[in-house]
Amino acid sequence: MSKDLFSKLKKNIKLFVQGATDFDRKSKSLLIKESHNEMDEFLLLCFGDLLGIPFPTSYYSLELLPLIAEDLDGWNNRMSGRLSVWQEKWADYDFDA
Amino acid sequence: MITFIGGKGGVGKTTCSAAYALKCAKSGEKTLLVSTDPAHSTSDIFSIKISDEITNILPNLDAIEISGAKESKLYMDKVRQSLKNVVSPIIIDQINKQIDAASISPGTEEAALFDKMVEIITERSTDYDKIVFDTAPTGHTLRLLALPELLGAWVETLIAKRKKSIILMSMANHSGNAEKEEIDKDPVLNILKNRFDKIEIAKNIITDSKKLNFIFVTNAEKLTIDETVKAVEILEKHGITVSEIIVNKILPENMTDEFWVSKKEQEQKYLELIKNSFKDKKISLLPLLQEDMKSDSIEIMADKLRE
Repeated sequence: MSKDLFSKLKKNIKLFVQGATDFDRKSKSLLIKESHNEMDEFLLLCFGDLLGIPFPTSYYSLELLPLIAEDLDGWNNRMSGRLSVWQEKWADYDFDA
Repeated sequence: MITFIGGKGGVGKTTCSAAYALKCAKSGEKTLLVSTDPAHSTSDIFSIKISDEITNILPNLDAIEISGAKESKLYMDKVRQSLKNVVSPIIIDQINKQIDAASISPGTEEAALFDKMVEIITERSTDYDKIVFDTAPTGHTLRLLALPELLGAWVETLIAKRKKSIILMSMANHSGNAEKEEIDKDPVLNILKNRFDKIEIAKNIITDSKKLNFIFVTNAEKLTIDETVKAVEILEKHGITVSEIIVNKILPENMTDEFWVSKKEQEQKYLELIKNSFKDKKISLLPLLQEDMKSDSIEIMADKLRE
């Protein structure tokens, strides 16, 4: 019991220090960015035909629509509004941070 | 046991399917005849209106006609229904457009038909001793049977991507540690996994020679034989067993007219070719009949197949 309490306390202190000093900000933003990239690829495989890439499987992705419809709009804008891949890659290095 | 009957357009697939199903029913097997051809001539052959519900037509013999167009409409209506309680009206509008676009895209009806066929196979195979599928012309059927492989790979990739994305997001939110339950909770992943399981079941049935075999219908003509040889090769490459070849429209003996005599000679030549091309398969011959295909002539055909 006390061991349980101790590990909980340890975890909370860790979280407090992390939060207060914001020390994993960079790794967190990297993770989020990578997660979004994966999700964009996922959406591309599901709804590529929205961008004019025909997929033989688009029939089966319809049933996912109600669940990911809210992400779809932003994704469509991101994909069709892409001006330069270089610019995007450049931003990954985050030099101004 | 599931039997697919296929062949080039116009060789008499529907006739042979009906005759084969009738033969099975007569020898005491409870049989379901499934017509997937959009032309739906099975109703005409048996002179009974067969619908998209299972209808009993003769003792031991039930039939059903399924259509890709109808099934895909049902599926899309279901998606539309579940949309209503999820998202905002603006997004609904956009999604309806997406659904409309999908309803005219090329693979849609095929996919819907395939789904329905898998549903019949998985839900009805315990009720019947034999399920006979009257398929669409060769090209369609080959694509249909290759679908599980294509779909399986696609769904697998989707599951991997979605999982990775969720794990990364979970790591970002829990200072580097992913929470497993966030993966289990995700509704999208659950739908995909369901789909994957169904595809696996279909794949296993299709490639299991104890559960499914293929009968090819051909005529004693050069082009048809060539196409049959090619199709059988492709099917066997996909692990699908072709057990029997039915040669339909065999000309009658004892013809006197010069034109038909030479036709008959040619036919003999092509029959030899068929026998040489398919040495390890059962070959059945069906005659060309004088009258149209009606229920009594189908019975003659069924008796011929029994020999």
